[in-house]
Amino acid sequence: MTYIEFCRKAVKTAQKAGAKEAEAFVFDTRSTSVEIERGEIKTSSNITDVGLAVRAISNGKIGFAYTNALNREEIEKTAKKAVSASTASLKDKNWRRLPEKKRYPTVKNTYDKRILEVTSDKAVEFCQKMITVSADVDKRVLAAFGGTELSSQEGACVNSNGVEVQDKGTFLVCYLGTMARSESQVSPVCSSFKATRTYKPEPEWVAKEAARLAADALNVGKGEAGKFPVLLDPQALQAILTYTFIQSIRGDIVHRGRSIFKDKTGKKIASTNISIYDDGTLAGGLYTGKTDMEGVPRQRTPIIEDGVLRKFIYDNYWARLDKKESTGNAGRGGGKLNLPAYCTVPSITPTNIVLKPGTASEQELLKEIRKGYYVRSVQGAHQSNPETGDFSVALAPAWKIEKGEIKHAVKGTMIAGNAYQMLQKISLIGKDARQVGNFIAPKVVASELNIISK
Amino acid sequence: MKKTLVPVLDKAKSLGATYAEIRAQKNNNTIINLIDGQIEAVTMASETGAGIRVLASGAWGFSTNNSLKQTDLEKSIRSAVKMAKAMGKSIREPVKLAEIKPVEDKVKLKLKKDPKDIDISTKINNLTTINKACLNFEKRIKSVTVRYADLATDQTLATTDGTFIEQQKTVVWNYCWVTGKNNGIMASARDEAGNHGYELYDIDPPEKIAQRVSKKVIQQLEAKTPKSGEHPAIIGTDIVGVLAHEALGHICEADLTLAGSALMGKLGQKIASEKVTIHDTALLKEGFGAIKYDDEGVQGQKTTLIKKGVLVGLMHNRETAAKMNMKPTGNARAQDFRVPPIIRMRNTCFEQGNYSFDELMEDIKFGYYLEAFRGGQANLDGTFTVGVQSAFEIVKGKLGQPVRNLETLRQVDACGREPGLAMGRCGKGQLMFVSSGGPPVRVKKMLIGGTEK
Repeated sequence: MTYIEFCRKAVKTAQKAGAKEAEAFVFDTRSTSVEIERGEIKTSSNITDVGLAVRAISNGKIGFAYTNALNREEIEKTAKKAVSASTASLKDKNWRRLPEKKRYPTVKNTYDKRILEVTSDKAVEFCQKMITVSADVDKRVLAAFGGTELSSQEGACVNSNGVEVQDKGTFLVCYLGTMARSESQVSPVCSSFKATRTYKPEPEWVAKEAARLAADALNVGKGEAGKFPVLLDPQALQAILTYTFIQSIRGDIVHRGRSIFKDKTGKKIASTNISIYDDGTLAGGLYTGKTDMEGVPRQRTPIIEDGVLRKFIYDNYWARLDKKESTGNAGRGGGKLNLPAYCTVPSITPTNIVLKPGTASEQELLKEIRKGYYVRSVQGAHQSNPETGDFSVALAPAWKIEKGEIKHAVKGTMIAGNAYQMLQKISLIGKDARQVGNFIAPKVVASELNIISK
Repeated sequence: MKKTLVPVLDKAKSLGATYAEIRAQKNNNTIINLIDGQIEAVTMASETGAGIRVLASGAWGFSTNNSLKQTDLEKSIRSAVKMAKAMGKSIREPVKLAEIKPVEDKVKLKLKKDPKDIDISTKINNLTTINKACLNFEKRIKSVTVRYADLATDQTLATTDGTFIEQQKTVVWNYCWVTGKNNGIMASARDEAGNHGYELYDIDPPEKIAQRVSKKVIQQLEAKTPKSGEHPAIIGTDIVGVLAHEALGHICEADLTLAGSALMGKLGQKIASEKVTIHDTALLKEGFGAIKYDDEGVQGQKTTLIKKGVLVGLMHNRETAAKMNMKPTGNARAQDFRVPPIIRMRNTCFEQGNYSFDELMEDIKFGYYLEAFRGGQANLDGTFTVGVQSAFEIVKGKLGQPVRNLETLRQVDACGREPGLAMGRCGKGQLMFVSSGGPPVRVKKMLIGGTEK
């Protein structure tokens, strides 16, 4: 049986057992990975995880069940369990109905058969390369951890409203975390990675970047407290905005009165040079696909255009409640219990968050700063306050900039700031964007941030 | 089970593995989320699977299977051996495992209230009570999320060393996120409670949980921004555990120590104030980290990490123990069958001192009392952050106004005498239920990331 057929079977069984509406979802992930630990390659894994989930709704009561055994008998059992779970639940007065059938977009560069054909020997070779290249850059550098992962995902979704869709994708990731040691210093962990949907392995590039950062982080000088302009790497920007801004553009958070942007659509909330999109159809994006995880087409949604707040992101549940259209942002899995996709009901999840690049070159970005900092990564961003935007992070690694030049690394330095105020004070945007997690952004200069230093 | 697993292990040996282990699990999970009074969905699920790990040619191979049939497991073990051998060709320092005594045991849970015997309606009822009690606590409380999970695992661990352990584990977990609003200011607080059994709600009744978290929200709404810079501070039980976990725990995980953490080569050296003694223990029954055997079959025990400021121990699995010529400490844990065991903490606590809370405060002219935390993170170079969500000023030895958002800790100079334990989750690629705690402790100075001068 195909995944679509399994799903149909589950939906029918749930309906027969008394569900008014039913949805089945299959998610299949397969990965081969090789890991580096302390400069050696010595662990590899081959992981296959397939599961089927059923959502059953009767009289506004929602039940959910999943299984990781895909056979006829187990699927029937799971569908019935979802129905009995719905009977045990209480009515959700916000429930409207499951998504309807729609046309799906054509997306590019999300699947590459070559990735599936790569053997673990080749992955070992990429890891070997990362170890040798990072040691060649500087012998004080150790490849502390890293690896290569080749993976594929396949999903299918069927519901009683006529939705029937499947999608698949591939991923290739090389990543490396380095540390450098001198007689007097230990650098923080400096990481680099390259993740692509098509077969474009770049272990050398990753190793060079991670190793150079760690070596450069050994040259430590004195930090200075005060308000300074700060050049933020996409890694740092992603960390700060993920736990603040991204939370506040979610339709559920807005509906629940927990977003600072609640009544701000059409109003200016950022510098005019800022445009941000949630683009689930971006060619080759890590979160690109034709459908979201409940069968709604992915799309490109303007969040901020020229500094003005345009739209929030929605899944089916919250969109219907707010009389809006779903923006195709239903995700599954993860959460507080870190579960696989088929183990949770959908919730609003960003796809590729794209910050439109500016025109500034690396040189021009640095020149913008007479005295300030360059921050590659921050630590502690997940402790930010999404409601107010307040964040307070340790910088690791970061460098002092003087007269447009990088001077020396700093340690024991923090930024305490507000993400929403920061968005209003972005003075310059770089021209080269890079994907970090679900962010695709260039480097930016925040014109004034509060630096704390010992 | 033994009849299925032993032939698979024999197969691994015949293919050239020097060690193999199968961790077969049957899991039953109930998850309920209450979002502003509405049940998101009642989730009831079961899953089955095995994580298979082999050592061949000095390297590790790992694979998983959703089926526990002998033929399927044999397929997985063949793939794991093949991958390990592919890496073994280039390995300079082959992986070795510290010797352990093989164990055959059956560990049954003794719960006062097994969550599987509790009605869904009772489970829902406790959550709606929390929701209502939060909203009734104060009109400024506006939004409540309550998450509940009971996760039950029946695990069989079989290894080529002759270990065969059947072990039951459960976690009952209650999480709240509550938001309040006042004159346009928003503030939130989080609360996590847990137990191995449903007696969780006898020890921590829903009303008590609601009051605890709501009180924090209201304090936050009335809070002012802290003064940035270095100040003395008293760290409350809730946060002292995070301090033990983030500041010391992670860099005492031997895999991270060996990866070059700030503690590399520091065993036997003084790394903290002599007031500091920290243990990581599996023997604290009420903690999430109470386990009889870890996922390599090593017996749970109490491991002292820091004794009077001196680094005396690290947390090991069999591999790091062999590498450092130490004994395994029973810290190898895996989130589930989908992932291999790695070194994780259990219950990480500061040891008590002999100061009362007032005595701790006495000498502080101006400083902070840090009560509840938002989260923490550690870096191998020893940098750690602890996000604080509720804190009070201490002025001339007395508690004063609450403050918002503080970070980062250091320098303990006294420990209180009242112990405490907080239940939590830790992410290190995999999620793990852990506990941490200790008495309140005082630090001479710490860097506070506030925005006021």
